[in-house]
Amino acid sequence: MNIIDVQDITKCYGDFKALDSVSLSVPQGCVFGLLGPNGAGKTTLIRILMRISAPDKGQVLFKGHPMVADDVYDMGYLPEERGLYKKMKTGEQAMYLARLKGLDRQEAYTRLREKFEQFGMMDWWNKPVEELSKGMQQKVQFITTILHKPSFLILDEPFSGFDPINANLLKEEVLKLKEEGTTIVLSTHNMASVEEICDHIALINRSRKILEGDIFEVKNRFKKNLFSVETTDVSNTLLHQLENQQYQVCSQHTNKFYTRLEIKIPDTRTSNDLLQLFMQYAEIHAFNEIMPTMNEIFIEQVERANQQPSHEE
Amino acid sequence: MKNKTLLIISREYLTRIQKKSFIIITILMPILLVAMIVLPALLIVMNEQKQYSRILVVDESEVFINNFTDNDHYEFSYRSGDIEQIKNEAFDQDYDVVLQILSNSQGVRSNIYYRKNLPSGLQSEVENQMDDIFFNQLLKDSLHIDPTRFEDMQKLAKAESTTIQIDEKGAEKEHDAEVNQIFGMMCGIIIYFIIILFASQVLRGVLEEKSNRIVEVLLSSVKPTQLLVGKIVGIAMVGLTQLVIWAALSGAILLGIQLAAPDLFRPDTMETIAETPGVNLPNTASIDVAPDNIFTMIQNYFAVSFGVIIVSFVFFFIVGYLIYSTLYAATGSVVDNESDSQQYTMPITIPLILAIVFVPSIATNPDGTLAFWLSMIPLTSPIAMMVRLPSGVHAWELLLSMGLALAFLIFCIWFAAKIYRIGIMTYGKKPSWKTIFRWLRM
Repeated sequence: MNIIDVQDITKCYGDFKALDSVSLSVPQGCVFGLLGPNGAGKTTLIRILMRISAPDKGQVLFKGHPMVADDVYDMGYLPEERGLYKKMKTGEQAMYLARLKGLDRQEAYTRLREKFEQFGMMDWWNKPVEELSKGMQQKVQFITTILHKPSFLILDEPFSGFDPINANLLKEEVLKLKEEGTTIVLSTHNMASVEEICDHIALINRSRKILEGDIFEVKNRFKKNLFSVETTDVSNTLLHQLENQQYQVCSQHTNKFYTRLEIKIPDTRTSNDLLQLFMQYAEIHAFNEIMPTMNEIFIEQVERANQQPSHEE
Repeated sequence: MKNKTLLIISREYLTRIQKKSFIIITILMPILLVAMIVLPALLIVMNEQKQYSRILVVDESEVFINNFTDNDHYEFSYRSGDIEQIKNEAFDQDYDVVLQILSNSQGVRSNIYYRKNLPSGLQSEVENQMDDIFFNQLLKDSLHIDPTRFEDMQKLAKAESTTIQIDEKGAEKEHDAEVNQIFGMMCGIIIYFIIILFASQVLRGVLEEKSNRIVEVLLSSVKPTQLLVGKIVGIAMVGLTQLVIWAALSGAILLGIQLAAPDLFRPDTMETIAETPGVNLPNTASIDVAPDNIFTMIQNYFAVSFGVIIVSFVFFFIVGYLIYSTLYAATGSVVDNESDSQQYTMPITIPLILAIVFVPSIATNPDGTLAFWLSMIPLTSPIAMMVRLPSGVHAWELLLSMGLALAFLIFCIWFAAKIYRIGIMTYGKKPSWKTIFRWLRM
């Protein structure tokens, strides 16, 4: 079941088409990576999902029904450009933001105390935000985003501004939320974190969605039949045989212990054929398929899309 | 959804009234205000309580002997003889001043000798008394007129006038044009300051949220209009709170002073204040009206009923604030920082400044063309109409002015909502006027 269905959304700012007939689905309970180059339209899409702006065309379904105003209370949003009132006391401000999300005073207070203690921030409750470090402010923002326990969460570049320790803390928190059943949309340029925590991705480029799917399915789709073989000795006979049977040796590295070959298998053959060939001539230490990284897929797909004449049906 | 707006209002209100600057200004202002009223009075009273002076008169002309009048502050004694010797002895005999009166053919001259300090006011007291004595002497000797009769005649010959306005129905009403002018100017200036002080806070508040980048977080929970309404209403309540506290505190302090020193505000003291250069109290403020019917007194002053003035003041106070605060909010939303905002506030602020510049001319000529049009144009009418009102305006003028202001307010709300909604999310390049007009159509 999908928690969000974006159906054919178009949004224009004057003459500029920020989103062009974009449709995508966010399955319930997953971490969904919303990817795309700067200015592709991600923030516009997020703002439409959060009902901050309205689409010119198309609609958004939330849990199967056309989204209504009250749905925002079941949603949390950590914007990329985020800030707090600098002069306001931290605790007071967190209370305010929590109550704007529909929590009553008592509930907000209990949950905030709990979270502040968990993150070791109780000392900051009565301090104005401007006295907090940037990382502290980010923590406060994250806490207020998830405090009302939304079932749908959008995090826009959540890791920016965090040191590695806090980034890791945040990552664990995101995975914990996922285990609890929260669906999370993660918009980021940090491909390593996409590999680590996303289950689904969608790639938006120049106002259009160019790729969407389960992360393994996507990787599978773009794999190039590349295999890596580690072996002790690479004889000329072996190389000659590989060439004869249309295997393509992409690279060859030798170190003290073994030689590593990257080989592209032609469509007519399988990995087992390659393995058999090697077994005849060499001792195999390791054999595995090279899957494309999200980084490679991102760059490749965006470049491919940009080479095509843009914005034509 | 409604209680979200309430929540925003209460945040806007509470964070502002908890600020140190708010508390300080709220407390200091009435003290300053009261000080401005009380200090001159206090100075005069203190002057009156100057020490008792004993004056020894050495009169060579003999016209003044035994003719000075003793009072609470001055006691006159007389002696004749060698001035040098008297001067030497007098100060040891507890006299403060030796007054030597010389006479010659041209008139009277005098020297006032003193040792330590010359009591303030003594010289003018002596001169005044001498003038009177000498004048009476001349009346008697040269014109053969009895001075007491002359005084009676002077009183008899005093002319007094009352200004009476006749309204359309022919009813007559005594009122004082000058009081009307001053009261009108006060109302106009108060409204001006309220707009300047609080409407500009709306601009700063909107700008703060935008440059803080908290606005996007807020907008994921509430609608832009809720945020805008919350801010405008919250700040209006801050303004009202401040006004109420100011009024109450000033009143309490004045009452306290009145109880502690009942003499301070005697009409004659107030009159003295009015006559003191630099203190521009209306000298009609202390005219002879029994204090028990102050309300009738107020009522009698104005060409328009006092109730109408109060209602109009509240109306123009609210509408004027709302017009300017919505426009300022729109301005705050389109810029990224305060220095950029001036370019956009200019067309809004100029009418406000024009209105305040023309306040004196409106007050002196409340029925003139300038006054009429300024009180019709909604950006100036809250000030201009309040200046005109105490001097009397036609009912249709007041209603038309109110109607125009209301209509314009509705336009402003529509305009500000459109601009704010888009502007608040737009960063970077300052939008051109053309861009802004395009937003209006979006």
